[in-house]
Amino acid sequence: MVTRKTHIIGKPFPLVEAQKKLTGVSCYAGDEPFGPELLHARILFSERGHARFRLLHVDAARKQEGVVALITGQELRARLGAVIEDREMLAAEEVLYAGQPLAVVAAESPEAAMAALSTIEVVYEDLPGVYDLEDALAADAPLVHPNMASYRGFEQLNPQPERNLAHRIAFQRGDVDKALSEAAFVLERTYSAAPLQHAPLETHGGVAQLGEQGELTLWLHVQAPFLQRQVIARALKMPPHNLRIVTQCVGGSFGSKVAVSVEGLLAAIAREAGGRPVRLHLTREEEFRAVFMTPAMRARVTMGMDENGRITAIRAVYDWNVGASVDPFIVEMQRIALAGTGPYAIPNADIQVNAVYTHLLPAAPMRGLSIAQVHWAVEQHVDELAEMAARSPLGLRQQNLVKGGDQLFPEFVMHANGLESCILETSRAIGWDPAQQRIQTGTTARGKGVAMGWSPIIVFPHCKSRATIQCDGENLCTVIVDGVDVGQGYYAFITQLIAFELNFPMEWITVLPTDTDKYEPDWQAIHHNLLWSTGRALLQATAELKRQILSYVSEIWEEPVTNLDIVDGEVISYATRRRLSVLKLLQEGTGEDSPPVFRATGVYEAPDREGGLGSLLQSFATTGYAAEVVVNLETGDLSVLQLAGAADVGHAINPEGVKAQLKGGIIQSISQTLLEEMRFENGVPVTIDFMSYPIATTADMPQQIHPIVVEIPQSTGPYGARDLSDHVLVGASAAIGNAVYRATGVRIRELPITAQRIYDALQSQAAKVER
Amino acid sequence: MKHEIKVNINGQLRELTVLSHQTLLEVIREDLGLTGAKYGCSTGECGACSVLMNGEVVNSCMVLAPEADGATIITVEGLSDDEELHPLQKSFIDHHGVQCGYCAPGMLISAKALLNRTSRPHEEEIREALVGNLCRCGAYADIIKSIQVASRARR
Repeated sequence: MVTRKTHIIGKPFPLVEAQKKLTGVSCYAGDEPFGPELLHARILFSERGHARFRLLHVDAARKQEGVVALITGQELRARLGAVIEDREMLAAEEVLYAGQPLAVVAAESPEAAMAALSTIEVVYEDLPGVYDLEDALAADAPLVHPNMASYRGFEQLNPQPERNLAHRIAFQRGDVDKALSEAAFVLERTYSAAPLQHAPLETHGGVAQLGEQGELTLWLHVQAPFLQRQVIARALKMPPHNLRIVTQCVGGSFGSKVAVSVEGLLAAIAREAGGRPVRLHLTREEEFRAVFMTPAMRARVTMGMDENGRITAIRAVYDWNVGASVDPFIVEMQRIALAGTGPYAIPNADIQVNAVYTHLLPAAPMRGLSIAQVHWAVEQHVDELAEMAARSPLGLRQQNLVKGGDQLFPEFVMHANGLESCILETSRAIGWDPAQQRIQTGTTARGKGVAMGWSPIIVFPHCKSRATIQCDGENLCTVIVDGVDVGQGYYAFITQLIAFELNFPMEWITVLPTDTDKYEPDWQAIHHNLLWSTGRALLQATAELKRQILSYVSEIWEEPVTNLDIVDGEVISYATRRRLSVLKLLQEGTGEDSPPVFRATGVYEAPDREGGLGSLLQSFATTGYAAEVVVNLETGDLSVLQLAGAADVGHAINPEGVKAQLKGGIIQSISQTLLEEMRFENGVPVTIDFMSYPIATTADMPQQIHPIVVEIPQSTGPYGARDLSDHVLVGASAAIGNAVYRATGVRIRELPITAQRIYDALQSQAAKVER
Repeated sequence: MKHEIKVNINGQLRELTVLSHQTLLEVIREDLGLTGAKYGCSTGECGACSVLMNGEVVNSCMVLAPEADGATIITVEGLSDDEELHPLQKSFIDHHGVQCGYCAPGMLISAKALLNRTSRPHEEEIREALVGNLCRCGAYADIIKSIQVASRARR
């Protein structure tokens, strides 16, 4: 396969989407050119955490000049959810969180829409709210969803509805109590991580328009159009084939544009707008207040280790504050459980993952899929365990890390993987020296830390990926897939694969916008392993397309098809040395007949599986991180001097693209670890702009960034490749936390690691020494 | 209140009627139909709406349209001529200076202003010039590299 002349797999490949993004072509939210017919939608959001409410002067608002349609929860009773419908699209009588939509309006101008909403007076009657895990799980806590059992999908969850526990995933192996009682070293610690904002630079938005036959088209900028169609159609009681979602460019998602947020309201108001197009584009403040947060985590971890440094047991409870809706988080909970031991083969394990309802903004997983937060806990814990037993953090990891052949679950044996290479190469890159604790110069101290990571790639039975390629004279080679490029280089990969398999020039290939009309309504694409699943579908489609092209030519030439091949865009015969340009074939045909059109679809459908949690596993992505930090011991100020990140991608199909993802992940990790924290007062977000919620700028970049690509082929992946982009953050924050410990002697167990937290820890450490 | 303003936008002289409270960003996007400058925050914190105004980088969301009367404005659409991409644009394509792409027009404008001032900027100068342009994908390292390579390639 790799002996072909045009070998572009594994070689630098340009960004096929880049040119239009760099020249200002309209493709993002707010760009859509719809002319003077365009209406503007705005949403009225709740300003209280938990309250009964009434809306006054709604009729007056409706009658205002320029208002075309206005809907409140009194008119539209609709619930959202992919698994469990635990969100009201518009609150009817009671708000469950600040930021919950109360009304939506469409008007001739944004100003008219705002004027209408400001006419409406909201009268709140506050109710007791629960905002953190402790309060929500207290015995007398008010219930966020007292009627949870009546929601569609309730039976698919494992909740305790009498106590705000929305869902639990757990697994056990071995005998943890016995192993802990026999362990030479036992350590119990609690770690936490703050809620975050995905904060894509493009805020949520899009355009919707009702057609003459009652069909509704949405031009959106989302990661999961097929899922959104299903959820919105069900909420609005529309047949799914009457709802079409066309996906344009996505200006960043990071997990915030998977589950439905405001897209359902856009659809609802467009149905009332008499066929005129309606645009919605959230302000930055609305994006912060009213879309999604990521769930805050509390992890209680206990590990046991024998005298020889073998980790024998782990008990870990991961509690997540999912706000007022668990639905967007449900599928991640199995992955969190599967990752819950950290990347170690520990014979005795007891892992529990709990989602807890509170009166906060609904939570959706962020890039790293909450596995990053799990490692913040586990990978600091392993360092603490090493310290306790006076062992090397790196050596302890090497001794215990999971290896190919380890039977992790009855249904899953670990595959060959690059975990050890990742940790060794990253520690080498930063000049890790096990003997060196810290370097102190005056009031500043430097230290280094390491951490590893694994991130489960899971496949639900009957989940599908589909790819259709059409070759014709007009558009040459167009491709339709059911995933979406959100900046990870997905379309470049698709182009590369087709150019390689069909041996066509890449310029012939165009990936079209994802469009739900192209596939059957029940299709659900796989999101966190698009390379793997779309790759399999594309390999089927290209094989079929090549067969069609060669059969066509073989009939004309009256030569056996086995003589023929495609090389550099030409059909050639190895026997007769004849050649025919595919371009000419597509554009002019072969004389008598009209030019041919070739079309093929490939489908990957995940098989049925039986068994427990382990049966969902397809593979693990593995990573390694190493950090060097400098801390001001008087103020607690922290900077990352260098950060190395490695990932095993199986086979780097686009090596520079892989490095770009790793470098981006390094910056995002630093941002999440040092800077980011969403804060609330009485359940109302107070971090509502980039001043109060800073994200990393060029000023926060380390002096050195080391992206490292590890390649241990995955047998089932296309060309041996494995997905990366969702997994690049895993392990980085713990490496920084471990480095801070080695620089300062204080262990920060709460994310983010702020100067204040380091300062406070240094102060209490000094107080202890004085006593 | 309405104002009659004249602006030179990407080399074309345009006469426009704008309202007192309208921002330059709104006028560029809605009235002139140029969608390269992006809405990101409306508070001057993210740089997605960056344009050149009389040669200086401004956040066009922070400039009131009447203030732009008589100004020369260059948006990302004005960087390339019809035939060829600007060296910065080419370099961003070649060196992965784009991920999701939403920040890219603002990054290019800040980079262009920097190269107008300093033909061969050091890495530190590039970092400083981009500090007002947020990239949530974290592509800063490749953006800086793209600018460095473009500056070396310039005539």
